[in-house]
Amino acid sequence: MSTAPLIRLYGPEDVLAWEADGPRSVAEFLADVTELADMLPDQRSVLNLFSSRYEFLVGFAAAMVRGHVTLLPQSRAPQTLRRIAGEYGDCYAVTDQGDPVEGLPCVTLPSRGSRSGRTPRSAAVPHIPLQQAVAVAFTSGSTGQPMPNRKTWGALVSVGLAIGSRFGLKAGLCRSVVATVPHQHMFGLEASVMLPIQHGLAMHAGRPLFPEDVRTALVEASGRSVLVTTPLHLRACVMAEIALPSVEMIVSATSPLSRELARQAETRFHAPVNEIFGFAEAGSVASRRTVAADEWHMLDGVVLTGQDPEWSVRAEYLPRPIRVPDRIAVTEQGQFRVLGRTQDQVNIAGHRASLGDLTQKLLEVDGVQDGVFFLPEEGQAPLTRLTAVVVAPGKTGEDIRRALRWSIDPVFLPRPLVMVPKLPRNETGKLPHDALRRLVEQHSDPESTHEP
Amino acid sequence: MSTLSLEHELAALIVEALKLKADPSSIQPEAPLFGNGLGLDSIDALELSLAIAQTYGYQIKSTDPEIKTMFSSLRALARAIEKNRTK
Repeated sequence: MSTAPLIRLYGPEDVLAWEADGPRSVAEFLADVTELADMLPDQRSVLNLFSSRYEFLVGFAAAMVRGHVTLLPQSRAPQTLRRIAGEYGDCYAVTDQGDPVEGLPCVTLPSRGSRSGRTPRSAAVPHIPLQQAVAVAFTSGSTGQPMPNRKTWGALVSVGLAIGSRFGLKAGLCRSVVATVPHQHMFGLEASVMLPIQHGLAMHAGRPLFPEDVRTALVEASGRSVLVTTPLHLRACVMAEIALPSVEMIVSATSPLSRELARQAETRFHAPVNEIFGFAEAGSVASRRTVAADEWHMLDGVVLTGQDPEWSVRAEYLPRPIRVPDRIAVTEQGQFRVLGRTQDQVNIAGHRASLGDLTQKLLEVDGVQDGVFFLPEEGQAPLTRLTAVVVAPGKTGEDIRRALRWSIDPVFLPRPLVMVPKLPRNETGKLPHDALRRLVEQHSDPESTHEP
Repeated sequence: MSTLSLEHELAALIVEALKLKADPSSIQPEAPLFGNGLGLDSIDALELSLAIAQTYGYQIKSTDPEIKTMFSSLRALARAIEKNRTK
């Protein structure tokens, strides 16, 4: 059976991770994995709740060595963990924070002190079968109920290698990876865990939030870093009046990055800003240099298949072609532009549009900081109209509507257009449908909007 | 500036930075800002840290010794700013 090594391109004394108290060598890592693997129970599914990226990797690797599947919940909310633990009855948790789910067997890493005196029993890098199912990622709540997506080791390795090769990491350009994204997230797993361990890079174990945290993490990672992040964190760094170390490269994902912010971030960090396009069902599939192109370039080994309006991605490591959840326009060169979510197709009075397109037009209105178009529950009126929720301090609904008349077909003008102080984005910047619906209900009182 | 007037000023800053549509004087000095109180989250913390840095020249970081307590209430945040402000 074909296998791939757990980690590549390191020597035994190379730094694999920067923890809060210093470096972890490859030899220490392999010893930690062996020790934890021996401690794991016989259940086949594991909730890996380690908050340190390094400890998460130790837990993930130990589970793979034992043939266990790591579950990647969308949130650490107790009800989410309980639900997943219920669905996967054969389940335990590895954690640094006590019992996370009532009644679930729990394993923690032995304390650092007790580990440092031991003699590593095995320095061999484990090899994992490519076909082994190693993780389950749950799809985003913005397309409805979370759905499980099984990932093989081969898929994770292929994507990690493809991201690195796209950005030229093979050339030894970079030394470390610093990430603001959670490692339990699909993009975080690929770009902040798989990317470093498949390219011999040191990962920073922290998850910096504030710009000053990002600065410190970049310094601790001792330079030549790849910064893996999101538009939200990039914006905070661009706005902060602090001197930020330069990085080799920025990789952003989870929500669309504006070209203006990408340009500012490139100036601030003296580095190219690359964006990754992906979705939990397939993982990362394409990339672009945001300041240079609207078109996304497929990662090595991934091809588009299908025809308008329905496209899928195909790759050797995927069990079958997987439908692209967005509406895309494919160029002759096999690149594509994102037009909007397929589920977001609307037909109003015989006119078709994509909510993604409309939202983009709304975001281009002067003074609009955030906003979204969506289709309210249908069947309430003979003609369904779109709702827009807008964050634009100092502007009235009429200002926004007037501007939109220039850019969109009048049938799509929102009724109502609700002005709100902020949108209920989750920590990866997405807008769960339920939260959006609740927000509109809260603001459905005309007194609470700025409607003329 | 007295602690009390800093609290008033900070309440206004929070309402403005997070666009809370609330009367600043309605924020109780000892009530929690996050979770069950004002219901702020980590993205709000990020947003609020930017406003605090711009107004008071204090760059909040997760390793600050008072980080666990400073976001617990308006009063605690005012105290942390008083101690760390550079403008």
